[in-house]
Amino acid sequence: MRQIMTVFAFTFREGIRKKVFIVSTIIMMALLLILTAVPALIQKSETDEPESGAQEPSVTSKVCYYVDENGLIDNAIETLSSKITDTRFEKGDYSKIHEYKETIKTDGNTSLIVVSKDQTGSPFITVTNMDFMSGISSGYAVDVLSDLYIYNTLESRGIDKDTIEFAQSRLSYAEEFAGEMDFSGYLLGIVITMLVFFAVYFYGYGVSMSVATEKTSRVMETLIVSAKPSRILIGKCLGMGALGLFQFIFMIAFGTVCYKFFIPDGFTVFGMELTLSAFTFKSALFTFIYFLLGYMLYSMLNAVSGAFVSKIEDLNSAMMPVMLIELLSFYMGYFSMMSSGSNVLQKITMYVPFSSPFIMPFILLNKDLSDLDLAVSILILVISIVIVTVLSIKVYTASVMRYGKRVRLKDLYKET
Amino acid sequence: MSLKVQNLRKTFGTKVAVENISFEMTEPGVFGLIGTNGAGKTTTIRMILGIIGADSGSSSWNGKPITREMNFGYMPEERGIYMKTTVLEQLVYFGMLRGMIRHEARSSAIALMERLGVAEYRNVITEKLSKGNQQKIQLISTLIHNPELIFLDEPFSGLDPVNIEMLRKLIYDLVDEGKFIVMSSHQMATVEEYCKNIVILHKGRTILQGNLRQIKSGYGHTNLLVKTEKDISSIAEEAGLRLIEKRADESEYRIDGDEMAGSFLTKLIDAGIYPVKYEIKEPSLSEIFIEKVGAEV
Repeated sequence: MRQIMTVFAFTFREGIRKKVFIVSTIIMMALLLILTAVPALIQKSETDEPESGAQEPSVTSKVCYYVDENGLIDNAIETLSSKITDTRFEKGDYSKIHEYKETIKTDGNTSLIVVSKDQTGSPFITVTNMDFMSGISSGYAVDVLSDLYIYNTLESRGIDKDTIEFAQSRLSYAEEFAGEMDFSGYLLGIVITMLVFFAVYFYGYGVSMSVATEKTSRVMETLIVSAKPSRILIGKCLGMGALGLFQFIFMIAFGTVCYKFFIPDGFTVFGMELTLSAFTFKSALFTFIYFLLGYMLYSMLNAVSGAFVSKIEDLNSAMMPVMLIELLSFYMGYFSMMSSGSNVLQKITMYVPFSSPFIMPFILLNKDLSDLDLAVSILILVISIVIVTVLSIKVYTASVMRYGKRVRLKDLYKET
Repeated sequence: MSLKVQNLRKTFGTKVAVENISFEMTEPGVFGLIGTNGAGKTTTIRMILGIIGADSGSSSWNGKPITREMNFGYMPEERGIYMKTTVLEQLVYFGMLRGMIRHEARSSAIALMERLGVAEYRNVITEKLSKGNQQKIQLISTLIHNPELIFLDEPFSGLDPVNIEMLRKLIYDLVDEGKFIVMSSHQMATVEEYCKNIVILHKGRTILQGNLRQIKSGYGHTNLLVKTEKDISSIAEEAGLRLIEKRADESEYRIDGDEMAGSFLTKLIDAGIYPVKYEIKEPSLSEIFIEKVGAEV
């Protein structure tokens, strides 16, 4: 135990002084600061906006040429100008269509609407933009022109104005949600899942790198005559885990302070209030537990990856299998979050030990989870950690002093 | 106290790395494991220490199998220290892993650093030290817990003359303190200087072992080192001496025995040549090694 604590303390001290730790902490703090400051800035800009009546007419740089050689839609330019205010509509010349198109190829602020006749004699509208991200909204422009064409046609047939307007009117509606979805819980769930994934990946990578560095720099040979490989491995994983936890808790504390200081009271996103109300003691506790367990599971696997390499440049390829498991598990968890209807996928990801650390914080924040489900999920995860740890220690012990030729699983099996 | 190694054998795949090596060390001093690169010296040390498992055979210290808990020190051939960590910090860490408490490890590290002349670097990041000083740090990490049994794997490789002299003196001091040292080397002159007993390994097999003095005595007086002011090559040839090496101001010859050396000296004096140096010698370890390895090849 004493040797484990010695390795633990050394790993923690070394890790906290590393540039990568200091730089990543500063970057995360800056991100948190920016993320929490944005709502305050948005609110400030909204309150600073002048009264709508005092608004200056907007100066637009967008131009749309309207070509209707046959005059199929009357008053089109006036109507389009009144409906699409950020674009200046100009009457175009049919003979210059090719020239307009050449301009549009390189100018995203220029568009072209050509109205021609289809086989039935009705207007056929062609909208040309540089790409789907530029120019005017073709769908909206076509809606405006369709409404105008129908209006003109009905009016020419003697239908009175009120009747036409009534015929073209749309019913008002409102969308309501009967469920109890808490937007802040949903958002927090995604954020925490991402954080757990990155923390597990980042600190697992740290374990792997640390093991590989000790092996390739031959420090391992000095260590291994003093302490059992299993003690080195456990001490190292605990040290890196504590380092991750320290940074994680520090970030949560810093984020809470930023939230208190910067997020304005009653701030809403898409009309929904941004609060931490979804975070109960239970969800916070189990999120913490899942982070720890997830980290332990993956750090053991990563340590084995590090022990496999003889050259540090081989580390990434040695880590690939663990990374694939981690990525696959993360995306399984993520998709099960997104596909709220698929209970089967969610059940699977809840119980699979590789994915449960990613999905469970989200479920805890957003669903009513039975204690039995929670207990079974944690039990499976703990049993898996024990099995993986035992196997990892065996493989680590057998591979950590093997240099030269790539270590084959068959050889390791013989030695263990 | 005694170190006993019995029939240690190790294979890697189909290659036999070490074939049934056995030796015993019953008194303090330096034991030499000699061989070319790849002879099996490092594998032997690793097997003795349990870093890698032997296919068969055993090793014991004071009659008990060697475990990590025993008081031994090991300096690997390829130096392994933390380059990004300060010197004192990693020495304290290595000491604590050997069971010392922090302040004990710190005091011992500082004492050894002072002894080896690197105390001023205690708070320096290790990568900023010269290679020689890094090697001293590695040596301190080996000795920090005052081990009784010390394994030095190629301790002189890569050292400059000043550091070789420093290490030389330290090894003598350790022997005086009653330490048991197992040293591997392919530098014959070094081994010849320190080792009472040796094992010569070649491709994993023991080709010669025993007390170095006895081994050399067994060969008898086979070499003659002569330093004269005049050229003696024609007289040496006439006397049947075979030139082994001609240096700037002296020559070494192979002789059949003391009588041959005596008659050659008479011839020199008869010719009016009085040698400045005339030394009848046993063969050097290097010659014995080359002879043995050559016979194997």
